[in-house]
Amino acid sequence: MADQKNTNHPQTGHEPDVNANQGDHGHYILPDSVALKTLLALAGLTIITVGLSYVHLGPWNFVVGMIVATIKAALVAGIFMNLKHDDRANAVIFGSGFLFLGIFFCLTAPDALFRGDVYVNGRPLTLPVKGVAKFKKAWEPTPEIVAHGKALFAQNCVTCHGEAGLGNGPAAAALNPKPRNFTADVGWKNGRHPAGVFKTLKEGIAGGGMASFATLPAEDRWSLAHYVISIGPNVVKDTNADLAAVGIADPTKEETGSDETPSIPVNRAMEFIANEEAASGTGSANVKAGVGQSDLSGYDRRLEAHTFAPSL
Amino acid sequence: MSQPLNTTGVHHHAHHFDSADHEFQASKQGMWIFMVTEVLMIGAIFVGYLIMRARYPEAFHEAHKLLNVKLGALNTAVLILSSYTMVRGVSAAQRGNNKLTIRMLMTTIALALVFCVVKYFEYSHKIHEGTLPGGNYTYAELSMPHVPLFFSFYFIMTGIHAFHVLVGIGLMTWMIKRVKSGEITPEFFTPVELVGFYWHFVDLVWIYLFPLLYLLG
Repeated sequence: MADQKNTNHPQTGHEPDVNANQGDHGHYILPDSVALKTLLALAGLTIITVGLSYVHLGPWNFVVGMIVATIKAALVAGIFMNLKHDDRANAVIFGSGFLFLGIFFCLTAPDALFRGDVYVNGRPLTLPVKGVAKFKKAWEPTPEIVAHGKALFAQNCVTCHGEAGLGNGPAAAALNPKPRNFTADVGWKNGRHPAGVFKTLKEGIAGGGMASFATLPAEDRWSLAHYVISIGPNVVKDTNADLAAVGIADPTKEETGSDETPSIPVNRAMEFIANEEAASGTGSANVKAGVGQSDLSGYDRRLEAHTFAPSL
Repeated sequence: MSQPLNTTGVHHHAHHFDSADHEFQASKQGMWIFMVTEVLMIGAIFVGYLIMRARYPEAFHEAHKLLNVKLGALNTAVLILSSYTMVRGVSAAQRGNNKLTIRMLMTTIALALVFCVVKYFEYSHKIHEGTLPGGNYTYAELSMPHVPLFFSFYFIMTGIHAFHVLVGIGLMTWMIKRVKSGEITPEFFTPVELVGFYWHFVDLVWIYLFPLLYLLG
């Protein structure tokens, strides 16, 4: 092909010198050798991209994959689309497209990824999942409620507090202050008695690693509180004043947690709606009936009544 | 692109431009601005995909395994090669070698058709299995929430891309006709170069689509 270069244009010479590759109106003509090298580079990078998918680097797979793709894109835009020798204004124009795309992503991602951290009001969390309270007067410890608390502890707490509640779970190493050791008697933020633990579970500890577990139903939080007290050196009971402090004005009544400020993450609420729509066959949601709602049934209807049509 | 022609078929720059070069630079800049709108259009869907992928990593990971990496890699190679043949076609036009330009444009069209055939096999396989967007998803072996969402993105992204490939085939056919008419000369090759830009952009989008959908899901 090389001989065809000069057929009509003696000034577009063979020399690799960039300035020699000028056609009419000073237009840069891509030498065939550069085109071929670019093709080979793109092919090599494609092999790297495919090979990379067989190596497990965790999140770095994505980062490296995108960097390789961007190098390829730069080769295509810079050499094949000739941005390298083009008017600089065109590079600015094209680059601005990616700049605004970046701004779009940076503004959108935090909203979409962290929306679940915003809570809306919702009534049902004082009630158990299946609609009927398993435990009447959940502030009174019974062997059943402690056993229930133990199961919940294994699901929700062991990562930080450890299986034996010694505050030495796998995630504890990264935490400062360290998670509470439940077998120690002193230093409990809200006091070592069930209502104090219940309060901590509801509110979390500001400035500490303890998160709020307000999304757990109140009776589950009571169950956890009783279990946590049970693994300590002695079982401490709440006084009426302790119970009153967490809203149990009359401990003889069977209502749980009347002063609860019910809350639920927005994305959970959206899942409920999606599940309900899918179940009734009216919705446009992706979620099929019966998928992902096994532990949510019973929540949704009350949510709709209390959260999405609040009495004004 | 209504380029004014005189009776001999030789291109003359339009009266509102100072010179042929002025016209060429303006046309090219217009093309770059068009490509910015393309970046923003496909980019918006990319952003949506990235956010949903970050939100439902397990579902997107399981779903992406259902794509055929070999066919995706084949199409990547085909598109890169077609970008090369296109660039050779454009430089041939700039040097006045119209025969080579036509040969290269035809090769590029052939590669674009290979891409479409591979895409046809991928799509028909998915339609057959029921790995379809949203509520049309019926694939029994992977029933996980948000997997249909992955396929919504897959079909919209690759669908828009495939549409661009089809448009590209049309544009290249039109270019072959114009080169054959003798209109394209070393003094006037704007349409061929701009169609080249368009085609490279189609390649550029696929360079991101392939790893994002097939490899890293």
